[in-house]
Amino acid sequence: MAPSLCAICKTERALIKRPKNHAKLCKTCFITIFEDEVHHTITSSKLFYPGEKVAIGASGGKDSTVLASVLKTLNERHNYGLDLVLLSIDEGIKGYRDDSLETVKRNAVQYEMPLKVVGYDELYGWTMDQVVETIGKKGNCTYCGVFRRQALDRGAKMLDIKHVVTGHNADDVAETILMNLLRGDLSRLSRSTSIVTGDSKSDVKRSKPLKYAYEKEIVLYAHHKKLDYFSTECIYSPEAFRGSARSLIKQLERVRPSAILDIVRSGEDMARLVPGESSSTCGGTCKEKKTTAPVAVEDDIGGCGSTNSRAPGGEMAAMEKQLRENEASEGLEVDITKTVSQRKDGATDNQKALPLRNANKNSKPITRQVLGNCKRCGYMSSQDICQACMLLEGLNKNRPQIQI
Amino acid sequence: MQEQHADTQSSGGAPSPSKPLCVKCRLHEGTLDSRSQLVCRDCFSKFISAKCVKQVGIIGKDIRNPGSGSGAASQKKKYVLGLSLGVSSSVLVHLLNENVEYQLAKGRAAPFDLTVVHVDSSSLFPNNGSSSSAEETLDRYRKRYPRFEFRRVPVSDVLNLSTVDWSTLLPPSDEKTRPENEQQLSELVDRLPSSTSRTDILRLFTRHLLISATRQNECHALLLGHTTTALAELTLAETAKGRGFSLPWQVNDGPVAVVDYQPAADEPTTSQIQIYHPLRDLLRKELVTYATELTTPPLVSDLAISISSHPSSGPSQQVVSHKDLSIEEVMFLYFAEVEENYPSVVANVARTTGKLVRILGGPGAAGNEEAEDEDETTANGTSDKKRERCGLCSMPLDEQGDERWRGELGDEDVHQKEGGKGRICYGCERSLRG
Repeated sequence: MAPSLCAICKTERALIKRPKNHAKLCKTCFITIFEDEVHHTITSSKLFYPGEKVAIGASGGKDSTVLASVLKTLNERHNYGLDLVLLSIDEGIKGYRDDSLETVKRNAVQYEMPLKVVGYDELYGWTMDQVVETIGKKGNCTYCGVFRRQALDRGAKMLDIKHVVTGHNADDVAETILMNLLRGDLSRLSRSTSIVTGDSKSDVKRSKPLKYAYEKEIVLYAHHKKLDYFSTECIYSPEAFRGSARSLIKQLERVRPSAILDIVRSGEDMARLVPGESSSTCGGTCKEKKTTAPVAVEDDIGGCGSTNSRAPGGEMAAMEKQLRENEASEGLEVDITKTVSQRKDGATDNQKALPLRNANKNSKPITRQVLGNCKRCGYMSSQDICQACMLLEGLNKNRPQIQI
Repeated sequence: MQEQHADTQSSGGAPSPSKPLCVKCRLHEGTLDSRSQLVCRDCFSKFISAKCVKQVGIIGKDIRNPGSGSGAASQKKKYVLGLSLGVSSSVLVHLLNENVEYQLAKGRAAPFDLTVVHVDSSSLFPNNGSSSSAEETLDRYRKRYPRFEFRRVPVSDVLNLSTVDWSTLLPPSDEKTRPENEQQLSELVDRLPSSTSRTDILRLFTRHLLISATRQNECHALLLGHTTTALAELTLAETAKGRGFSLPWQVNDGPVAVVDYQPAADEPTTSQIQIYHPLRDLLRKELVTYATELTTPPLVSDLAISISSHPSSGPSQQVVSHKDLSIEEVMFLYFAEVEENYPSVVANVARTTGKLVRILGGPGAAGNEEAEDEDETTANGTSDKKRERCGLCSMPLDEQGDERWRGELGDEDVHQKEGGKGRICYGCERSLRG
């Protein structure tokens, strides 16, 4: 069989089968189309304005390295006029960060970008190694994730930057959508799909320009551009739900490559179906504003990108237990509002009949979270005290386990 | 209750202390696991029937006045049950039969008439080498449940339906308005880009046929055998196929729109039917236990039910490689595993999805059913006010989502066919064109 030619330029030999749609492309065309697609995401969502100072959350891993490389390329090619800075978090995990931080330092030189490293120890007084020493390996990803979210924002504030971009890719977003469906967490589901997060109350806006890029294509891009990245995964294992969702996504991608983007599409659509979400109440009659309006969120995506272990562990078992207890107590509970309203129904029969049955008859309303600021650290939070401060309080009291 | 307890303790027939007692009746030995509690066979069976009867009761109340006009209240309720020949729908037949027998034994009238419809797609899988035809299998059901009517509907009957906009399925170049015979239908299915697409489109055909059977028989509702587990599978499978938007219409009970593209009429007409899932509170594994251990003779052997494969994979289809699995089968395997250790997590998925709101109006839209009905009847002339529906799956088209997606991805392959005719939703687009 003759070697097939690139489906785009039709001159070069096709060397790459695009993971996203199995199109056969040559190396140059693949790199170009990858960059073009990220450019399209950036312009259609109006992520940046000229002269904006943007911090790239850089871990030294493939996603953030590709993000830095692509942003530098596009910034020059399309004259975004961005002032790009690398921002790195040092969680204080020996053998993990030491090497990846070296990678980030090299990236800073390669891409001619300034680099700022912020350590957990200076932000929180605890390194991750110390946290694990105190609480054990179970649930430590929660700490790491909560701390890191704020760390990027705090680091950005130190640099007087109001926009942080992260390397979250389509796989991460799809994973979060499935994970939140598995956890039954609709409010997180509706918030996690947005490309821009953070709102007027928070000083720092977050966005994910690689939201529609497949992880496998990111790896290919890094490989063909010969990017310098660090590929060891976090040595502490991920939470069960995320691990479970991740392995499921890999299987789905195998049977139908478009599944990842299809999940993202489903997730975005379902976000509008969550009761209480702004656009679901207008019944679809009002035109939605462009989705670039930032969504208030305590960003909850991506974890640490660790892929090992699919063994459903503590988190899933804990939820199972919790749900069972709820079920057990349901029978003992009397729903006062329900009985009252039923009686009313009968009494006012000849008035306007209530719809017999609607979609949400049996459901409890979803609690809406009101976003404010943490009373201790000022970071945006739906609680009085933000998650990080709660966790810190627990750590500092030397109470080994704290549920959040 | 307390007396009963006292009885057990004093009665000589109590099981020996080494054997655990059923946590519910405290009378018999607990041998079966029910939601992580040990129960006896009786209590397990009662639990299964009670969950189903409760839902059947809800349906009965929902359509208390079948038909309309005077004297309607006395009219008997008529349901259609979709039978895949798998465990869940078979158990549903069994439980409904039990329910009817119970009422008759009490000297009451049978609470409903039931027509069981099996959509037979075996002709599209000629080489699956199944040992017995669907008709033979149905004969086993007829023998066991003589009270109900069992009908086999070949999937090719879908060709006669005008609820499918056939122009969406044929390439634009095609002169035909629809495939004309089984051969052409089979070719159409073969041309679909993947196993997932084939399963997906066949599922839609089956749904259309069941809905059609319900309407033809002037039945009041269509009952489907989805368990909690199946609803969780459905949620994640539809999400993975880009059909997240339609989930509130698929997972919840209640009215669903039916669009009719009568060739004679200029405009498609819209009506609605009721769809229910009476087994929505039961886990699949519980039904497997029920069908293998608690029915005599066991349903599984008596009715030749396969319990190890997804109903869509056909009787004895061999999975050659994991690449050939459909998304439905991936979800089936995934939830079989989750259900084993985390049944409440599975139940929670179905419950959570049920909270999603049907926006864009349409039957069952949150809180405005009546307004909707008015709208459907008065908006005949003003087609711009009418909600457009997918020509293939009949779900509302999500204009807002489509527009945003096009903008974000710069996708050129979504909705190539512009204009009013032959529009399909994102999920159907994916299945047809990969």
